[in-house]
Amino acid sequence: MRINGIAIDDSFAEAFPMKATRLVITAHDRTWAMHAAVSATGMATSVIACGCEAGIERELAREETPDGRPGVAILLFSVSGKELAKQVERRVGQCVMTCPTTAVFAGLREGEPVPLGRNLRFFGDGWQMAKVIQGVRYWRVPVMDGEFVAQETTPVIKGVGGGNLLLLGRDTDGALAGASAAVQAMRGVPGVIMPFPGGVVRSGSKVGSKYKAVVASTNDAFCPSLVNLSPRSELDEEVRCVLEVVIDGLAEADVAAAMRAGIAAVVERGAGAGITRISAGNYGGKLGPFHFRLHALAPQGAAQ
Amino acid sequence: MRHTLVTRGKPTLRIDARSIVPATLCALSREELLRTLLPHGREAVPIGEWFEVRSESADDAQPWLRLEGELARFDHLGAGMAAGILELHGSVGDGVGIGMSGGTLRVDGSAGALAGCAMSGGWLEVIGDVADFAASALPGEMEGMRGGTLLVHGRAGARLADRMRRGTVAVHGDAGEFLASRMVAGTVAIGGACGPHPGWGMRRGTIVFAGEAPPPPATFVPVLSDAEVIWQLLARDLERFGSRFDGLPRRAVRRWAGDLAVEGKGEWLVPH
Repeated sequence: MRINGIAIDDSFAEAFPMKATRLVITAHDRTWAMHAAVSATGMATSVIACGCEAGIERELAREETPDGRPGVAILLFSVSGKELAKQVERRVGQCVMTCPTTAVFAGLREGEPVPLGRNLRFFGDGWQMAKVIQGVRYWRVPVMDGEFVAQETTPVIKGVGGGNLLLLGRDTDGALAGASAAVQAMRGVPGVIMPFPGGVVRSGSKVGSKYKAVVASTNDAFCPSLVNLSPRSELDEEVRCVLEVVIDGLAEADVAAAMRAGIAAVVERGAGAGITRISAGNYGGKLGPFHFRLHALAPQGAAQ
Repeated sequence: MRHTLVTRGKPTLRIDARSIVPATLCALSREELLRTLLPHGREAVPIGEWFEVRSESADDAQPWLRLEGELARFDHLGAGMAAGILELHGSVGDGVGIGMSGGTLRVDGSAGALAGCAMSGGWLEVIGDVADFAASALPGEMEGMRGGTLLVHGRAGARLADRMRRGTVAVHGDAGEFLASRMVAGTVAIGGACGPHPGWGMRRGTIVFAGEAPPPPATFVPVLSDAEVIWQLLARDLERFGSRFDGLPRRAVRRWAGDLAVEGKGEWLVPH
């Protein structure tokens, strides 16, 4: 398939079930809410070594938050509910409770509850107080700017991690511009995050390595420097830069919507803008239950 | 089965009507309902002696029962109810909704003493006034209301929410003396004024004075730091009760902590 001069591979992104939750962080103003959100989602690009994948979903207006203050919704994904619970507690305890004026609330209604403020309350050293409002328990921990309010638990649901697009570019400038445009479009889709820096990853990986101790290694099939060297290379000499956008979503449909938006943004720019081909990462379809076929997600009626 | 019970007159003695709960009576046919006995002094008298009963088949999602007329001598109506809707049109006796754990109980009139005592869930709404010890503990019990919501559109008597542990009590009008005394936790919101000794011995919990706030006693201290988040969460919840609670989130609030004579983790929130 080719649209606006951009080749779209007959391939698919292979994604996996993950445990996910949404947190709503509010603060006195949007600046401090964003400080907390950025900090809480820091160093959370990949479950390979970060414990979770996390990112900012979107900013929330005063009317959308439980306490009427500016807020930020963040999503966190992990491989197990237990690991996610650990990450939620650590990140909220170290990055949200510490941030001036913040409060934290669950951003989902349904799901298996894991502690949010339940254990952080002990920071109050006996001065903490609970308040149950409409059946929801909040913990109030005295801190130096007043009190830190945290909902007791946050629901965890089954999410989808590892949706992706591989954007093959003619040069670095073109690839960066195309990837940024894709990420920008995807950020308008609710329920997803792109956990890598700027939403983009250049060190795409494959499972395993020639070294026993290494669980993931460089995706040599898409390294331009290995064209004509790696037997697995899927590139031709025209491609000089490949960037990947990884997408985690609360539901399969959310990931599909984000990939659709990303593909549309790239093909709208046309091949002249630098991206000449779109592909996706998979493991032959044997590992992950979610398959996102690129041709099904491409803009309809535009194929040439 | 949907039943409507209309009183024939005023009973001579008080009637223990704790068996009048929707889930039980709606499972009965009209004939079975008419034969159901209610204690009246030393006797047990069939419901049919006191009420005209209108019954209709209805596919209600939850049991629905309605009583109309002179109910002031019927005590413990809706006691322990866990589900369904009970509508009481007329002023009722003591102990309405005591120990209820779920469902909706609405009194289109006033209620006697001990309304919603020891309730642990559900919605109890009284359009008129409630007498003393509403939402408080039963005699000899250590805990008062443990959950649910009591909404009083009129006034409340003395000892409202005594030993209350959880849940929400909202009163549009005034409250009597010893409001929320010995309170353990939960929320009490008052739209009017209150009598002497509010919050006496309260260990934890919140009293919101949306109307005329009393001067805090010496065992309460002002808290000057910001509590905007919990205030907004609480005020937005209380706003649904209307009347004096309308616009509550848009009012600034002063906070007092006490009663220092006991644990001292209770609070008064005074919007201004």
